[in-house]
Amino acid sequence: MTADKATAHHTADSSQEKDISKPTGVKALLIEVAGMTHFSGRFFKEAFLPPYELNEFLKQSYLIGNKSLPLVGITAFIMGLVFTMQSQPTLAKFGATSWLPAMVSVAMIREISPVITALICAGKVGSGIGAELASMRVTEQIDAMEVAGNRPFKYIVVSKIAATIFMVPLLVIFADGIALIGSYLGVNLSGHTAFNVFFGHVFNKLDFIDVFPAFVKTFFFGFAIGMISCYKGYNSNEGTEGVGRAANSAVVIASLAIFIIDMIAVQVANLFN
Amino acid sequence: MKKETGNKIRLGLFVIGGALIFLVGIYFIGQKRLLFSSTIKVKTIYHDVNGLQAGNNVRFSGIDVGTVDDITIISDTAVRVTLAIDRSVQKFIKKDAKASIGSEGLMGDKIVNISAGTDGGPEIENGDMVMAMEGSTIDEIMKSVKITADNAAHITADLADVVGTIKTGRGTIGKLLMDTVFADNLDATMVNVKQASGGLKENMEAAKHNFLLRGYFKKKEREAEKKEKEQEKEEKKAEKDSSTK
Repeated sequence: MTADKATAHHTADSSQEKDISKPTGVKALLIEVAGMTHFSGRFFKEAFLPPYELNEFLKQSYLIGNKSLPLVGITAFIMGLVFTMQSQPTLAKFGATSWLPAMVSVAMIREISPVITALICAGKVGSGIGAELASMRVTEQIDAMEVAGNRPFKYIVVSKIAATIFMVPLLVIFADGIALIGSYLGVNLSGHTAFNVFFGHVFNKLDFIDVFPAFVKTFFFGFAIGMISCYKGYNSNEGTEGVGRAANSAVVIASLAIFIIDMIAVQVANLFN
Repeated sequence: MKKETGNKIRLGLFVIGGALIFLVGIYFIGQKRLLFSSTIKVKTIYHDVNGLQAGNNVRFSGIDVGTVDDITIISDTAVRVTLAIDRSVQKFIKKDAKASIGSEGLMGDKIVNISAGTDGGPEIENGDMVMAMEGSTIDEIMKSVKITADNAAHITADLADVVGTIKTGRGTIGKLLMDTVFADNLDATMVNVKQASGGLKENMEAAKHNFLLRGYFKKKEREAEKKEKEQEKEEKKAEKDSSTK
């Protein structure tokens, strides 16, 4: 939450000359949290009420999902490969290299690929949404839509958040698969291991308790990325410099939110263990 | 419009691809847990399960054939372990099979090993009880090692005592090995014995020539000659037999 505070503080500092009534410090943080809560409530209300902007949702899904896949795929592949190569010498010291596939797969699927994928999405998708919405606000497109009765919140915000909610988990699944392939190649760099031996070890050690909490938390990651970046963009009111600031704070706060959600998720998952 | 349709198709492929990877993963994890194959439940009762957990593997002849389904405490000395075993191996496991708890390697997970049972016996059925075989735990092994080590300590202490006694020259062996006076005496005794045996030889020669004993010695000589002749005859006979054959 410190980043949140810092950004809020920074925002308040630079605009002090223009607007003396703008709150700072803890007050600004609380206003920010209240604003996000209200924003989330409005999202859920509008998401379930017709009419649905299905076309816009599909378009956003394509932009968020398909367009991020190459970046996520390359990162996941390298993470799988490097993680395997880094762990191999340590495990070899204990003569436990046969545990390598199991260890890498549990680490990748439980933690590394959800968090890394979410962080990449926060960077790539979050900054894009933040900047896009902020510039729409600055150029008064949002106001124009409101005047025309086009429901800008539903058209712009709901479709984007819904798209991140569904696309981030899918990207994580791809990342899991690609990371395991990377890990398989990493194992094969230091000696030959058959494909089915490797994946036999992986699936022997993986349990539903590893997969499901990791899968469920990615929906929350997606929601956090979409909601925070939309909130930051939608509520940007400081002219052109606000566009950059909205994109920047969208990434920072979304990344922080990912780690906070991850921490809560591990506690909740351990309750079921 | 055309581009939008193309994008939708790509999005569809992306979603289907993700769903497929997810389903394949779930299927393979479930397959290892025998979620998608028919199983039979077999129960066994242990005093101590040594850290066995639900989800651990069950092995038959070294092959994974099932998992530990459930572990419940039924009394202060008994724990009931329910095993889910693949139905396809049911015909190989007999009613008198025994289940023991082992471990995968020294540090690895616990597993349940099932032995086949008597050949030709009736095969196991769903809900049957299997005899538990409580294997030796590390603790028990350590206990028996401790007893062995204690015994070894006793033995070595006794041995040290004996060696100490010998070293100080007490006792027969100690005197023999360590006492120089005793060694000198022994040496002197040996010289005396040598001299005495020389004297005895002379005495014997004299006795042989004595007329009272001469008859006895001559008789002895004749008997010896007779025996020699008989031996020669037998040898010749044996040679003849072997040549005719």
